[in-house]
Amino acid sequence: MSKNKVRKLKDLFLNIVTYLSSAVSLVTLLAIVIFVFGKGYKLLNINLVVENFESQGYVADLYDTGLYCGCSPTVTLSEEAFYSQKWGIALTDTTDLLGKTVVMVEYVHPDSPFKTVRDKGISGEPIPMRTDYDIIRIAFDDYPTALSRYGSEAMISALEANDSIREIEFETQGGGIRGSIITTLILIVLTLVLALPIGIGAAIYLNEYASPNKITRTLRSLIETLTGVPSIIYGLMGLAIFVPITVKLTGATGGNLISGAMTLAVILMPIIIRTTEESLKVVPDDYRQASLALGASKTQTTFQVVLPSAIPGILTSVLLAIGRIIGESAALVFAIGTTIKDDVSLTGKSTSLAVHIWSMMTDEPANIELSATIAIIIMIIVVLLNIFIKIISARYMQRKLGVSS
Amino acid sequence: MTNQLQNAFEINQLNLFYGTKQALKEINLNIVKNQVTALIGPSGCGKSTFLRTLNRMNDLIPNCKVEGSIRYHNDDLYAQSFDVIELRRKVGMVFQKPNPFPMSIFENVAYGLRCQGIKDKAILQLAVKQALIDAALYEEVKDRLKESALSLSGGQQQRLCIARAIAMAPEVILMDEPTSALDPIATAKIEELINELKKDYTIIIVTHNMQQALRISDYTAFFLMGEIMEYGETNQIFSHPKKAKTEDYITGRFG
Repeated sequence: MSKNKVRKLKDLFLNIVTYLSSAVSLVTLLAIVIFVFGKGYKLLNINLVVENFESQGYVADLYDTGLYCGCSPTVTLSEEAFYSQKWGIALTDTTDLLGKTVVMVEYVHPDSPFKTVRDKGISGEPIPMRTDYDIIRIAFDDYPTALSRYGSEAMISALEANDSIREIEFETQGGGIRGSIITTLILIVLTLVLALPIGIGAAIYLNEYASPNKITRTLRSLIETLTGVPSIIYGLMGLAIFVPITVKLTGATGGNLISGAMTLAVILMPIIIRTTEESLKVVPDDYRQASLALGASKTQTTFQVVLPSAIPGILTSVLLAIGRIIGESAALVFAIGTTIKDDVSLTGKSTSLAVHIWSMMTDEPANIELSATIAIIIMIIVVLLNIFIKIISARYMQRKLGVSS
Repeated sequence: MTNQLQNAFEINQLNLFYGTKQALKEINLNIVKNQVTALIGPSGCGKSTFLRTLNRMNDLIPNCKVEGSIRYHNDDLYAQSFDVIELRRKVGMVFQKPNPFPMSIFENVAYGLRCQGIKDKAILQLAVKQALIDAALYEEVKDRLKESALSLSGGQQQRLCIARAIAMAPEVILMDEPTSALDPIATAKIEELINELKKDYTIIIVTHNMQQALRISDYTAFFLMGEIMEYGETNQIFSHPKKAKTEDYITGRFG
């Protein structure tokens, strides 16, 4: 074989390797996205995002038992739905967000006596029937109670067979992730508030003030080592140090949002220090010299010329940090706990979206659909924050540096 | 005639080392007040290094050691008690590459004053305007003071840097090859400006351009291998150099 041929074969081999690698990474990425969307798109709706996780139960009766509707549905009902002509209500068998089989209200006729029911509790307030409520049971005066576990068909035939209804028990769907979304957003803000000043300060020290000696080099490599420590170890640290501290100082009784944010801040610090230092390094020395030559002190130079020039880079580190906060679960299991809560408080237990997924998957049986849906929502949040930071960064560059990127 | 003129800097037996390498050897020189002094010489001969000893910008370079004395109006620059920040306010500097800050034109000029603690907007506006007028830039930028300084052309940026230095009301302006990155038209403007400025300021300029040295300077120092080969009035240096090396250099036989 001639030399030329050998070279060509070598080139071909290397080219195939590069093409294959990029193809594999692309396919992997697509596979994840397709899997998540395929599993999760069904449950994706606005209710999931704004609803509480705990379902709210009601027991109610009708305002006027003698009034029947006897009306036909004004919309086309789904094939699984069963409709009661007499009462003007359609029920359907479905599974709720948590994977439980339930009887859901699919349709209520505008003239139906079910349109608005009366709370049997002390308040006696009217409750408008919503099409996503789950009926638990309907009790009659002299007829066996219709339970949800017998299905919607049985419930509808019981309704048709009766002229009056004693009481009806139903609940909101539940399984919403509003609380976890709020927790995640609070965590992002709180963690950044804690980690950014410390991380940026340390980066400034390392890049601007520290003399390049052995101690600085050691410090820098130690910080780099910290980025490689598994986050569950940080979680243990959070449990051992931050949880007791916050329990002592605040009204918290266990893992809480503040201790979680502190733990995350520690995880983020090395990342922020590294990226900030990198962005400080690329600030031209010309700026520092010009500033010093104008009689500015070292501190003035650092904070008024060097740091503003590094802002776009620092924003990138914020982006990385946010990604890490959203993605972190192992450390938070210890530092905040896994309790899914609707009323989020700084000193109480609650759960971020990532841990919410973990909770769903450790349920019996694992709720893959809802987990995938939450994954979609996490991805949407990440993409939105990305765009937001890019816009801020571009506007800052435009305004401050006069360059459009 | 020189007797009547005051000295801004008096340099005695100045030696400067970068680590073990000696960059300046036994420099003895008096820099005359309110005159333009040009420093010429081949690359690496120590003229920029020398210029930077005058506002102690050499402090920033690690392992840089200075011996001998530089007196600025009878104050020893390298005395322990000497206030470097105060010195740099009196001795401004313009660099080789235009290096405006990534801020607005106004903020660039106001920066030094702000660092001195001046916050009064009216004072700042007046000072910025005057500095820009003195740097012959005001007419070109008066409508866009809020725009980024990086949107200016190279020549304008360099004049902005001069305005920035002037705004501090310094006594001396050090210029380190201020026109080497500019085209001939921008260079002509800067030279014109230097001629204007020398009425009020002592100017020390490093240049590789012999014609420029001849055009704008009153005194010239020729540096070679870290030493001053020859120093004198510019006309004399260029018409009757005392040393053969000087003549070789200015006529372009080496360097």
